[in-house]
Amino acid sequence: MPVIEYGGVKIKLDEEGYLVNFDDWSEKTACGLAENEGIEELSKDRLEIIKFMREYYTKFKAFPILGAVCKNVHKPGDCVNETFMDPLKAWKIAGLPKPSEEVISYLQR
Amino acid sequence: MAKLPKPEELSKIDLKPPKTDWMDTPVEFKEDMYCWGAKGKNLKVVEFPNARDWSPKEEDWKLPENWKEIVMEAFGDRLSKYRSFKLFMDICVRCGACADKCHFFIGGGDPKNMPVLRAELMRSVYRKHFTTGGKIFGKTAGARELTLNVLKEWWYYYYQCTECRRCSVFCPYGIDTAEITMMGREFLNLLGLNIDWIAGPVANCYMKGNHLGLEPHTIKNSIEFFLDDIENITGIKIEPTFNRKGAEILFVTPSGDLFADPGTYTAMGYLMLFHELGLDYTWSTYASEGGNFGFFTSNEMGKRLNSKIYAEAKRLGVKWILGGECGHMWRVLHQYMDTWNGPADFLEVPKSPITGTVFENAKATKMVHIAEFTADLIKHGKLKLDPRRNDHLKVTFHDSCNTSRGMGILEEPRYIIKNVCKNFYEMPENTIREYTFCCGSGTGLNASENMALRMRGGLPRANAVKYVHDNHGVNMLANICAIDRATLKSAMEYWVPDVQVCGIHELVANALVMKGEKERTLDLRLEPLPGKAEKEGNE
Repeated sequence: MPVIEYGGVKIKLDEEGYLVNFDDWSEKTACGLAENEGIEELSKDRLEIIKFMREYYTKFKAFPILGAVCKNVHKPGDCVNETFMDPLKAWKIAGLPKPSEEVISYLQR
Repeated sequence: MAKLPKPEELSKIDLKPPKTDWMDTPVEFKEDMYCWGAKGKNLKVVEFPNARDWSPKEEDWKLPENWKEIVMEAFGDRLSKYRSFKLFMDICVRCGACADKCHFFIGGGDPKNMPVLRAELMRSVYRKHFTTGGKIFGKTAGARELTLNVLKEWWYYYYQCTECRRCSVFCPYGIDTAEITMMGREFLNLLGLNIDWIAGPVANCYMKGNHLGLEPHTIKNSIEFFLDDIENITGIKIEPTFNRKGAEILFVTPSGDLFADPGTYTAMGYLMLFHELGLDYTWSTYASEGGNFGFFTSNEMGKRLNSKIYAEAKRLGVKWILGGECGHMWRVLHQYMDTWNGPADFLEVPKSPITGTVFENAKATKMVHIAEFTADLIKHGKLKLDPRRNDHLKVTFHDSCNTSRGMGILEEPRYIIKNVCKNFYEMPENTIREYTFCCGSGTGLNASENMALRMRGGLPRANAVKYVHDNHGVNMLANICAIDRATLKSAMEYWVPDVQVCGIHELVANALVMKGEKERTLDLRLEPLPGKAEKEGNE
């Protein structure tokens, strides 16, 4: 199982780069996950999106409608794609488990 | 789509046949042309055989020792059970009328995607085991043994057919090639050789009621999000009901419309229309899937998933069922449901509470397609429509394979579109209605790992869209299928990037003048309506 290290913290990932333990997540972990996804900076906007995704997942165990994410963080409707290029990257940085293949293909652009 | 070659490259199609005879040309698994194998956990949930993780890339497919025996026993069983299958194995004269009609052959050039040859992959085994000529003369009579390589060839090509049935339209004998693919997949399924993009949704649907695995509170939350947008657009607060006993109508639609654009706008359209009509209907969080991926594994699984809709209709005590814009949902409903789970005697023959029209065509299934329902409303002048609100759109209509060839819904969607939009242009006539081209990704092939296959399969449809785009400025591809809304979006982004995709009830709701609505300035995508941009900007 791959382990990455960021700022002295060890982060356990699965083979596809998803965080293994939901509870291992912290803002520091998120920075490590972001780096792993090739995203250099975890800006305030990005952090807001991933925090909402975690909150949503906790309640609904599902990937949120992208428009609903943006509405909740008070951003334009395509904010997830514009901020992260790929909504799955945001999901990974939020430390959430791999969604189903069907969800992934819907997110494909 | 990062790995895909550019459209100019992918559209160069190599039609040179292999040097060796088809039987002597082994299957070659080409990158991005096939899906991942089903995960064991997804097969286990529905008690499918040989549940284990496996990969088509590996040499060892982890088959049961007696795999050949299992297939041949099932082959014999299905031949005696389904007369159509037996007939389709026997009567093809290999005239070749179907050869160039398949979207995968047109867009890919692989001879084994000619429907006649794809079917021959199975017929050759049929001859060897079930005909005297084949047993005696073997290869000379077009017969061959079922070997591991033949099995792999079946898997590769029966997951490169979307069961769209375009080839069948051209067959002088009316052979339904989709039924051959269905049998191919059914045999493969007995060995645990499914794909995960089908097995995952089947497991989800079995456990949670829908392909996406959305739980009741998640469904409700998604719909509340739509309601909030609707209120912003119209000023009207809508309050739909869920799982309500005693409602007149149960509404069932594909779960994809509750998750991803542009299907979400179609779902908003349903909510607005039903509210305006004051329809006595309910959503269900149990029968929360119109689609039926079970149909892509085996008849038995299709039947099991279909039964949920009728069990829920019975539990809620509704009179009849209204179904949303979906493709294969309707093939199942129209052509299989009645002998699988029918007759639905506990329901009434559907009658529109608004117009009084009795849907005699749905006498057996008690389920009406929303395009029929809405077309009837318009015909009776029950909707106040302002088509100018769709003036920013130049629309063409893609007939979904299953609703057009599977149930003959050809006029209703066009009638609706022409009443809610002023700019409608048909694609060339050999690409629409019963001759329609598949989106290229139906029957569970809408995965992300087989994009080359999907884009190749989508090329003939995209080519026809490009024609109306170039000649008439078409910028919107309307359809009545959730899979189309997801797959054509990708196909358009790749082949004809200026064209967007929508369901027809998005167009209906844009045009629908609702009682008590505020002056509309935005369409369902929250984009300014024609002529309203300035007004919106001033607010």
